[in-house]
This record gives sequence, C-alpha cells and structure tokens, in this order.
Amino acid sequence: MQVNAPAIEIRDLNKFYGTFQALKGISLTVKKGEKVVVCGPSGSGKSTMIRCINQLEEHDSGDIRVFGTLLNDNVASIDEIRREVGMVFQHFNLFPHMTVLENCTLAPILVRKSSRADAEARARHFLEKVRIPDQADKFPGQLSGGQQQRVAIARALCMQPEILLFDEPTSALDPEMIAEVLDVMTTLASDGMTMVCVTHEMGFARKVADRVIFMDKGEIVEEADPETFFTQPVNDRTRLFLSQILGH
Amino acid sequence: MSPLPFWRSRSVRRIAVQTAFIAILVAGLGLAIVTAHINLAAQNMTSGFAFLTKSTAWEMNFALLPVSRDDPYWWFMLMGVLNTLFMGVIGLSGATAIGLVVGLMRSGRNPAARLLGTIYIEVFRNLPLIVQLYFWYAVATSLPGPRQALQAHGFLASSRGIYTPGLGVSYGAAVQMLTALAVGGLAAVWFVTAQRFRKVERPARRAGLWAILGVTLATCILAAVLGHEPGTLWITTPELAGLSIKGGVRIQPEILSLALAIMLYGGAYVGEIVRGGFKAVGRGQIEAARALGLTNWQVFARVRMPLAFRAMLPILINQYVWLIKATTLGIAVGFSDFFMVIATSITHSGQTLELIGILMAGFLCINFTLAAVLNRLNRAIALKGNLVGVAT
Amino acid sequence: MTAQPYLSNRRLQRIRAEYFGSAGSGLLTLISLGLIIGIGWAVLNWALLRGSFTATATQAECMAKGGACWSVIAVRWRVILFGIYPYEEQWRSAIACAVVVVMTILSCLPVMWRFWRLAAVWGLGTAAFYILMRGGYFGLIPVDEQQWGGLALTLFLFVTTSVLGMPMAIGLALMRRSDLPVIARVTGIIIDTIRSLPLLSILFAFAIVLPFVLPDALTGDKLYRVIWGGALFFAAYEAEILRGGFQGISKGQEEAAKALGLPYWHRISRIVLPQAFRLALPATINQIVITFMETSLVVVVGFVELLAAGNTAYQTGEWKFAYVEVYAFISLIYFSFVFGLSRYGAYLESRMNAGQRKE
Repeated sequence: MQVNAPAIEIRDLNKFYGTFQALKGISLTVKKGEKVVVCGPSGSGKSTMIRCINQLEEHDSGDIRVFGTLLNDNVASIDEIRREVGMVFQHFNLFPHMTVLENCTLAPILVRKSSRADAEARARHFLEKVRIPDQADKFPGQLSGGQQQRVAIARALCMQPEILLFDEPTSALDPEMIAEVLDVMTTLASDGMTMVCVTHEMGFARKVADRVIFMDKGEIVEEADPETFFTQPVNDRTRLFLSQILGH
Repeated sequence: MSPLPFWRSRSVRRIAVQTAFIAILVAGLGLAIVTAHINLAAQNMTSGFAFLTKSTAWEMNFALLPVSRDDPYWWFMLMGVLNTLFMGVIGLSGATAIGLVVGLMRSGRNPAARLLGTIYIEVFRNLPLIVQLYFWYAVATSLPGPRQALQAHGFLASSRGIYTPGLGVSYGAAVQMLTALAVGGLAAVWFVTAQRFRKVERPARRAGLWAILGVTLATCILAAVLGHEPGTLWITTPELAGLSIKGGVRIQPEILSLALAIMLYGGAYVGEIVRGGFKAVGRGQIEAARALGLTNWQVFARVRMPLAFRAMLPILINQYVWLIKATTLGIAVGFSDFFMVIATSITHSGQTLELIGILMAGFLCINFTLAAVLNRLNRAIALKGNLVGVAT
Repeated sequence: MTAQPYLSNRRLQRIRAEYFGSAGSGLLTLISLGLIIGIGWAVLNWALLRGSFTATATQAECMAKGGACWSVIAVRWRVILFGIYPYEEQWRSAIACAVVVVMTILSCLPVMWRFWRLAAVWGLGTAAFYILMRGGYFGLIPVDEQQWGGLALTLFLFVTTSVLGMPMAIGLALMRRSDLPVIARVTGIIIDTIRSLPLLSILFAFAIVLPFVLPDALTGDKLYRVIWGGALFFAAYEAEILRGGFQGISKGQEEAAKALGLPYWHRISRIVLPQAFRLALPATINQIVITFMETSLVVVVGFVELLAAGNTAYQTGEWKFAYVEVYAFISLIYFSFVFGLSRYGAYLESRMNAGQRKE
C-alpha cells in the first residue's frame, strides 16, 4: 500500500455478463479524502462498478488499483484490498444470528486479529458515532431499517478502512429513516473519509460530494463538481435523468 | 512489480484444485478396478457380461412371465425389473389412494375424522417400514394351512396366500390385458401433458382421451375373449381341492405383505403431503371463491383441489422415488424384485462388479424416468408467471 | 339469566356444527368415532384386560385368557435388547444405551446449539459408548463387535451413521455450491446418483462387494463398512437438505462477509453454516428420524439389531405364536424414539415460524 498513491485508480475497466457488456471501458480516479457520488438509471452499471473495486464482481479486463495495489490474479491482493475498503449495502446485510456488537467485532477479531476487548471498545465507539450506543446487545431483527443501516456503517467502520463504498444505502429505507442515515454519512464525510456513494439522494450529493459522476449503459457519461453538474449539465442523457429525478 | 508466483495465482489455484479432485476420483476408481481384476484372476474368473446369456440354474418364486431354471440371467433380471415395477405400481397407487383419504380427513373440518387421520399417520409413519413388513409377513404366514383356510364370499385366506375370485382367462391373456392397461395409462398421461395437444380445443382433447380409453378397453376385452376357454366359467372362485387350493387368483404372502406394508407406510407419508398441499392454498383464494358464490363443493373441486395438487406434486415426486426404492425390501421376505435377483445372481455367478453396475444402472433408469415423467406433468400444470396471493 | 347456560349452549352449538354439520359430516363422525373406539377397545382388551403378565405363563394359559402373552417379553427381553452380548456384561450394554438417550436429549436443548458443544457431546458420547461396549479399557472384558446386538447395536448404528454422515454432508453440500464448475458438477452427479439408489443396495454393496474391490488393508470390519455405507447415504440426503438451507440465505450475507475481508473458511463457518443449519433444522431432524428407522435395514445383510433380535426372540422354540407381542414391544421402542424426535421437530418448526412472523 502506497500512501501517496490515489485511493482508487480504475483504468479501462470492462465487465461482461455472458454477452451483455455491463461496463464499457470505465476510467476513474478517486483521491484520498475525496467524496464521489455516482448516479444513473437502474442497469447503468454503477453498482457493478463499485462492486468490482472490492471484487464482489470479477472484472474481465482493465486495471483497478487501490492505494497503488493492483487487483489481479493474486489471491493476496484481494484480501489486502478488502481489508482497506469497507462497504455498505442497500439491504444492510447484517448477520441476523449475531447481536449488533458481534456483527461489529467479528471481522476485527478474525481478520485484524484484534483482542476481543479492543474490538468491543472500538465497536462501542463507532456505535456511538452512528448514534445507537444503547442497542449493542440487540439482534438486527429487533431494530428499525434506519438503525440497521447505521449498524452496518458502524460494522464497516470497525475494520478502520481507508475507503468506504456505499451501494444505494437509502433505497431500501422508509422515507422517514433516510435522513438519519444521511446525517451519519455527512458526519463521516466531514471527518475526511474517502467515500464512493452510489445514491439518488441529490441533496446529499450537492451538500457533500466533491464530484458527481453520471453513468448510463455501462459508461461514464458526465463527471463534474456538484454545482456544475446540477446547474449546467452538458450531456442530454444527464439532463433527461436529472429532470426525471428532480422533476417532481 | 515482481512477477506473481504461481501458487499465489487465483486461476492457477482453481485449475489445480479441480485437477486434484478429478485425479483423486479417478485414482480411487482405478484402484477398485485393478483390485477387482487381481481378485478375479486369483479365483480363475473372467470379467465381462458373457454370463448374462448362461442359464441360472435357480428358481424365481414369482414372475409375471414364464421363467424357469434354464432361462438365462438377462431374462431373470428383466423379470426382476418387471416385478419391481409391478410392486411399484401397486404400492404407489395404494399409497396415493390411502394418502388422499387420510390427507383429506386431516384437512377437513370434522374433528373426529381429523383425529382418526392423525392416529393413522402417527402410527404408520413412525414405525420402520421393514418392521411393518415383517409383521404383516408374520401375520400372513401364520394364517391356518390350506385345509383349514378361512373362507368368505369366494375369498380364501391361508398361510399359502390369499385367494380371490379371478377372470376365467388364460395367463397370457391376463398379461396382455395388464400390458394394454399400462400402455393406455401412459398414453393418457403423455396426451394430457404433451405441449402440442395442449393447444387443441377442449372438446377435441376430451374426444382424444375417450379414444385412448376406448382403444384400451377394446384391447382388454378382445384379449379376454380370445384367452377364454369356451365352456368354462367367466369367473373362477378358489376352492379347496385335496391338500391345495384350485382356481381363483393367488396372492402370495410375500407380495401381500410387501404391498400392504408399502401402501400403509407410504399412505401415511402421502397423507402428510396432501395435507401440506391443502395448507399451502391461500385463505384469500378460498374467500374469493366463496365471495363469487361458489358452493362448498365447487370451491373444493375448482379452487382448492387444483391449487393444492400443484403445491404437493413436487414433494410427491420425491416420495414416489422413495417408495419405488422401498420395493427392494422384498428381499427380506423373499419377493423376487430386481434387487433380489441381482443379489442372488452375485452369490451364484460371482460377477460382482458387473452385477452391481447393472443394479445401479437399472435403478437410475427407473427413478430418472419416473422423475422425468412426473416433472413433465409438474411443468405442464405449473402456474405460469408470478402471481400474488396464490400461496400463503 | 346467567352467562353459564348461554356459554354451554354456544359450546353445544359449536360441537353440533363441527361434528354433525351435515348428514355427510355426521356419518363421517360416527364412522370415525366407531373405528377409534372399536380399535382402541380391541387393543386395550387384548393388551391389558386379557393379557397375561406372569413370566411363567405358557401358551395354553395365555390362550385361555384370550389376550396378549407378555410372558414372551419377560423371558426374552434380554435377547431383544442386547442380542448375544455376554450375559454378565449386559449391564454395560444397558449403560451404553442410556448414554445415547442422554446424548440425544442434550442435543435437543437450545443451550447446546453451539458447534463445539454439540461436537463435544457427540464425540465424547460416541467414545463412551464404544469403550463401554467394546471393553479392553478400565478393566472391562473385551467384547467383539460380532457379539453386539439388539437395541445397543441399533443405537450404535444410528449414532455412528449420523456422526460420520454429518461432516460428509457438509463437505458434499459445500462442494456442490462451489464456484469451481468441475467440482460442483461432479459432486452434483455423485449426490443425485446416491439418492436414486436404494439404501439396501448401498448397504449390500458396502458389506459384500467392497472387500472385493478394495485392497485388504482398507477393507475393515463388515460392521464398519455398513456404517460407512449408511453414512454416505445419509450424507447425500442431508447435503440436499443443507443446500435448501443455503438457498434460503440471501446472497448479501456472503457478500457482506467478503466485503469485511473474511476468508472463505470463516465466511462458511461463521456466517453461512450457522444460518443454513437453522433453516434446515426441521428437515434435518426429519432425516435423522428416518436414519434411525433405516438402521433396521441391516437385518438384510446379517446383523442382529433390534428387529432381527426380535425375530430370533419369537422364532425359536415355544414362542412362535407370540409374534404380535414381540413386534408390539420392539415397535414401542422404535415408536417412542421416532415419535418423540419428530414431535420435537414439529415444535421447533412452529417456533421458528412464529419467530419469523415477529420480525
């Protein structure tokens, strides 16, 4: 891992499902501490792209580097990158058979080889940070959707990753719970975390993002700072998308 | 950047693991074959299937077609397969009939009937099949001897078997009639499920089914008339003649006990499957049917039954395969099914590997065919597309 | 007017609606109750009211009373339970059976549902059973496996089949869901083939054919070959049950574990298997129940377990007439075990369904 290398560097990334090309020559660089929001219609390849970064999907060609480490055939490189990259999912994916605290301490103990006491102390710290310190001994099924997603964020943070990937973190939530999750994400952003968020929350993008990326049909169509992106989009497809999502 | 060492490479690892897996399997199989060859050589025997055409020099106690000690092994095996299928058909139909009754009793609203169904299922499902088989065999063989046989309404029961009235036709004619019925049944299933007939209009399809039924029945009657000896009775009843019993149809204790055991045990399992099928029909479906003004019977026949049948069929398929396999228990009481013929052949001929191979191939064929036919039926009746509110 | 008559009136009405709602229903009620009472009375009359319970009753005396002749059990129960195990050592057999019962009851307690606890209970229990039966340690006289029999042998077959079969099932199930296509396919073919073969043919092949195709060093005792065969069959069925459990877990679970950097073995042992087992528990208990019943098949390849011991108990000498009593006795043993376990499985299933609804 090289500290001065870009956090994420993607060059000419291609991904196929059978004959369908999901990603067509994507290139993207994310600097350390940068917050990037990725949006686009469903099926545009945005989830696939960020899932390639921690190799939940295997890409077919192109280079992905995380802090200079090349993701390739080497089994060790995947392990190394997954340790540095945390992910928050649309459907939370908390482990239902473990308490909130166990969810947060499992990976630090098994992967980071932390002692149980250290792991629990850190877990309580991050649970406090996502504003649910008193739910540690409950099971995920006993929490509301918003609480579950915040636990999922705490769980990712407990591995002390350099980068956090968010895959539509608020799409499965009831409207009244979206704000509490976005608040936590905004706090994280202000703490300097490197973040790549796939989301349709345009308010969040405007407030937090350093850069907004619009994807359609497996390509990056437009890339700009939020101000330019929302006020002067260049591409027709972007304009159409924005009018649909902001139109009412 | 240094080149990747090969043991660190994901793709190399994948290939290596899979190759090693195949290599271990092949080595195990190879070891078995080599050892078998050494053992064969030590006993001065040759491997191969030449023994199939030799005569067996032992007897089969029950077969649907004539068989004697001079017949070759392959004929014995064929008769074994036929016996297995014969027992399978009897067992499956009996188990289905019992299961349907018990399952309906268990899903009905009458508490007394529910209790009776529950008692039945708990007793017969929770005792090993082979214990039940031994029990029924002991009962069947403990009946009085032929001379003291119990008699009622033309039926005789003795330790040599149960005798029922029969048709006065030759054995060959009886076999022909059974064959006609089996072929007719298969044709009907094929006709109902085949894609190209599903597009045919309803009256035409019904006419087709009647045609199949007609041809089958006509063949049966023709076979019966040709096989009937003029001047003799059409119905023969068993009668005591000296030390033995003449006339009628004899059901040997082995067949009787095996069929009874499979029917009663299988019936309990099928009953549970039937109940599960009715439970899976959504309450909303029944309420909707009632709201449309259908009578109780119409709700049952047009809504509950068709939906329940679709829900239970996939599980029934597994149960049927299980019941077919259960016919191998015949060896415990001496019913010459396919497995018993193979086991006896192994002791007499010593061609172990070949015979085990035939056994496996035989059962794979029977079970895969059964599963394929039933799966086809399942696909033919499956509900199309995604429906909301059909299942609970 | 008080509430009491009104209530009982309602109850009467409900009873009438349920039992005699229509002519058909009424007939069904009469037939069902008639059968239940008739058969129940006949069994009661035969087994208890007219049964002979003295150990010395002869056939003639039993016949005179007209009911069951339980004397056969009084005389032959040791054969049925312990087979030809040496008479003075049969207490060991009895304790060994008790060990299995305790082990089974312990496994049913939710407190024990941790991998290591279950593994410890079954590992230690099996070892204790084996040492008690086989002897040779702690001053116990060695008793060869060939002398084991009756209920003790049935329980030994059951325990070893499950203990060996469960890890095999996990292995097969994991191989079948492997990303590596060759392993997944070949394992699939192996599982499907075993499942479509009758258990009896597998037991037969392992008992009689295996010595023929394996070098002598690998052959082992016939008893253990049969156990391996039974375990393989159990594993093929249980692997499919587990596969159902795997399919019930959302894909996101394993992805989340991957994203946290958990390596394969930890993903399987901490995330996937615990959840899969929970989902597959009712079907697994059902399979274990069936496995218990199927131990009786070894009678065909010549072992004297509970059923075969029962057969010898009545087939020799003067007890030939008393087969119903003997089968009733061994049926009661099978039934209490199987019924108990399957009731427990049904209870767990309903509890799980209730839990799911709450979430």
